[in-house]
Amino acid sequence: MRKMNYCKKCVYPFATVNLNVDDDGVCSACKSSESFSELDPGFWEHREKKFKKLISRYLKNNESNYDCLIPVSGGKDSFYQTHLMAKEYGLKPLLMTYHGNNFLPEGDFNRELMRHSFDADHIVWGPSVEVLKKLNRLTFKMMGDMNWQNHCGIATSPIQIAVKFKIPLIIWGETNWDISGMYDPDDFVEFSARVRHEHDLRGYEWYDMIKHEGLREKDMLWAKYPSDEDILDVGVRGLYIGNFFQWDPNRQTKLVQEKYGWKAAEKPFERTYRTMSNLDDRYENGIHDLMKFVKFGYGRASDHASKDIRTGYMTREEGIEMVKKYDAVVSSDLYYWLEYVGMSEDEFWNIADTFRDPRIWWIENNEWYKNNIWGGSSSYGPVHLSEKQIEDFNKRQQNLHK
Amino acid sequence: MNNKSVCLLDYGSGNVKSVYNILEFLGYNVKISNSREDIKNSTHIILPGVGAFGASMKKIMDTIPFDVLENEVLDKGKPFLGICVGMQVLADKGLEFGEHKGFGWIPGIVDKIDTKGLSTLHIGWNDINVRRDTPLLKGLNDNKDFYFVHSYVFDVQDKNCIVAQTEYGSKFTSILSKDNILGIQFHPEKSQKAGQLIFKNFMENL
Amino acid sequence: MKKNRLIPVLLLKDGWLVQSKGFSKYQNLGNPVTAVKRLSEWASDELIYLDISSGDNYDTRRDDQGYENRGSFLDIIEDVSKVTFMPITVGGKIRTLSDIEKRLSVGADKVSINTMAINDHNFIQEAAKQFGSQCIVVSMDAKIVDNEHRVFANGGKDMTKFTPKELSKIVEDYGAGEILINSIDRDGKGNGYDIELINQVADNVNIPVIACGGVGDWEDFADAFEETSADAVAAANIFHYRDQSVFLAKKFLYDFKFNVRKPDLIKL
Repeated sequence: MRKMNYCKKCVYPFATVNLNVDDDGVCSACKSSESFSELDPGFWEHREKKFKKLISRYLKNNESNYDCLIPVSGGKDSFYQTHLMAKEYGLKPLLMTYHGNNFLPEGDFNRELMRHSFDADHIVWGPSVEVLKKLNRLTFKMMGDMNWQNHCGIATSPIQIAVKFKIPLIIWGETNWDISGMYDPDDFVEFSARVRHEHDLRGYEWYDMIKHEGLREKDMLWAKYPSDEDILDVGVRGLYIGNFFQWDPNRQTKLVQEKYGWKAAEKPFERTYRTMSNLDDRYENGIHDLMKFVKFGYGRASDHASKDIRTGYMTREEGIEMVKKYDAVVSSDLYYWLEYVGMSEDEFWNIADTFRDPRIWWIENNEWYKNNIWGGSSSYGPVHLSEKQIEDFNKRQQNLHK
Repeated sequence: MNNKSVCLLDYGSGNVKSVYNILEFLGYNVKISNSREDIKNSTHIILPGVGAFGASMKKIMDTIPFDVLENEVLDKGKPFLGICVGMQVLADKGLEFGEHKGFGWIPGIVDKIDTKGLSTLHIGWNDINVRRDTPLLKGLNDNKDFYFVHSYVFDVQDKNCIVAQTEYGSKFTSILSKDNILGIQFHPEKSQKAGQLIFKNFMENL
Repeated sequence: MKKNRLIPVLLLKDGWLVQSKGFSKYQNLGNPVTAVKRLSEWASDELIYLDISSGDNYDTRRDDQGYENRGSFLDIIEDVSKVTFMPITVGGKIRTLSDIEKRLSVGADKVSINTMAINDHNFIQEAAKQFGSQCIVVSMDAKIVDNEHRVFANGGKDMTKFTPKELSKIVEDYGAGEILINSIDRDGKGNGYDIELINQVADNVNIPVIACGGVGDWEDFADAFEETSADAVAAANIFHYRDQSVFLAKKFLYDFKFNVRKPDLIKL
């Protein structure tokens, strides 16, 4: 019925968030990654030199303050970034964690381990759990994402702290647009409020939240992004290490495990084959990602497989097997979450189904159908919508194909 | 703010919407209208404008009840703001593409700028030299740059009416004022902060 | 004194705001309205919006976000003009006088004509007569072929018989208000403007010239002002790489005493 095209090289569907596919059928993420991998060692030497030159100005003028601020979750990336800055570059960083209350036990352990492993101070900012529960429920209903508070906190509180402590240099890790190929290595993109607002926060801000669930401005102080004036006063800049150092999560994980005793997840995740991602948030690989599948028809396994295909750790056939096995799994953290926020499973699916994208899904025999990357189409469960909602869905679908 | 209202005249000139947007953004009661009622009932009147003098005059005379307008502004003293061509048509006559009659509310003639060799189209941000105090510029500090786009200027006869001048090749009047009548050669609706201040002052101080 | 202008260019492709490299590679940045809000907050002097879509399907494929997924280019421009109070030039796919009228009516102040200006010079004259020269920007894309700059039509695809020097004089005579000159070779490379190309045009006409194509650093803006008589400098990609980019670019130029507006921030 509905054609869902897939990239020729990785396993991304054309519908993937922010993806662009040129006429040759290869997606922008693959192209971006290709340009990153066609690089010889000299390339990375040159970029490291550029990095050194960039930060030298800040370090030169800094006698007694923290050399930089590193937003960390305690994950493998955080450890690697801090290892680079504190150990290899000998800087005194201020580590800063936004605590969204979704840490797995291994994630807690790793987070605590940081200032034992590195000569760095560590601030943890965790909003009230009552507020977090409200936001979990609210943003799930608003935009089909219960983890909005996490994305917002991570992209906001470190900048606030940097402004407050007058630290101009923020060191981020992976350039996260290589997941869709939004930018190229030579663009040397830095952290920007536009990307934060549009992609991390989906266009919503703290002031959109206080209209509901009794939330007040003083509940959302951690979510307020500093003004341009405040940022320019301190001269805060967010650099991405991934622009200057070759990023290899598998190699980096090995390093931090061996050197610092970093712990991977004890239980494998249900929706992906990787075990070293997202220990700071049990839902990122769980129901938050399930919502991605419900909306767009692809999940974390597609992300991870595509990344591993591009870096040569997996073939496309193996990637397709991963997608088949994992993308549609309804993970057990769903029940953990339902209890956490006090919602029933029926209500969950009623809300979730309102976010199904009519470009991807269609309804047949009151079940959800979509195309598969291995060919053909299949059912992915019953439809939890009222008759009127089904009618609206079908109408939207018709309008798309006008 | 609640009892003030703007009648924004529309004779088919391009920038009505922009003026409407900025007034709405500032929280004012604004209506795009040429009706006799709205001209009579509003507290302020704005005449925007983009284009040539002659063509604009014709459209104005065809679509706006001029007798009512003149009555409200000249006789009743209602605050009036003319922008760009909306300022130029206040003159006795304009010399763009032939000779055309204007409102005649402010003596003077509209003619080509003497750009002394520069491009005949004055387009871009330029600053104003304030010659006389006016409530229109209250609170304007450092940033006196405004957005201009025109090739003709208003040579105002009575120098007391000249509030501000701008230089482009030669000096010309960028803001004029006579009692309740104000004219601005630049586009405050395109001049960001400074432009917003002008509108606010027009609504609050006149 | 009249200032030189710094103008961000936003490229719209099928509803997305995109980066362009060499007129052939496009990368989706996101929703155009969000970016425009930021560029406005940094007090850009003007904005140029170019529609480089392949078809008429505008769709960011996201319906779960805090702002609408607008379905048409004109809708997007209308949204844009509600949050910006500065001049907007809109270009792309303009074929008739009615196309121009539609864009002006949703909030554009000027329009940019490219292919039509090459194929039918009279169109420029008619447009200038109906809407005024100040509304008409003619944009030209040029590439070096056999050691000579040549104008290309159709989004850089079709080589024409014109050199930029020749065509600029023609469009000036036919009533264009300004010329936007873009280098296809330099597009997205970040190696600076094609100074020679800009000079070819700017030295040849008396109307304002806007330089575009190739900016990688603030210094490139300074080079254009120092080495050419361009009235304005434009860039697309670079303004999306850093926060407060336009402010920082202006500050750079202002601190080095270039004839630009003082940098400023606006709360929207």
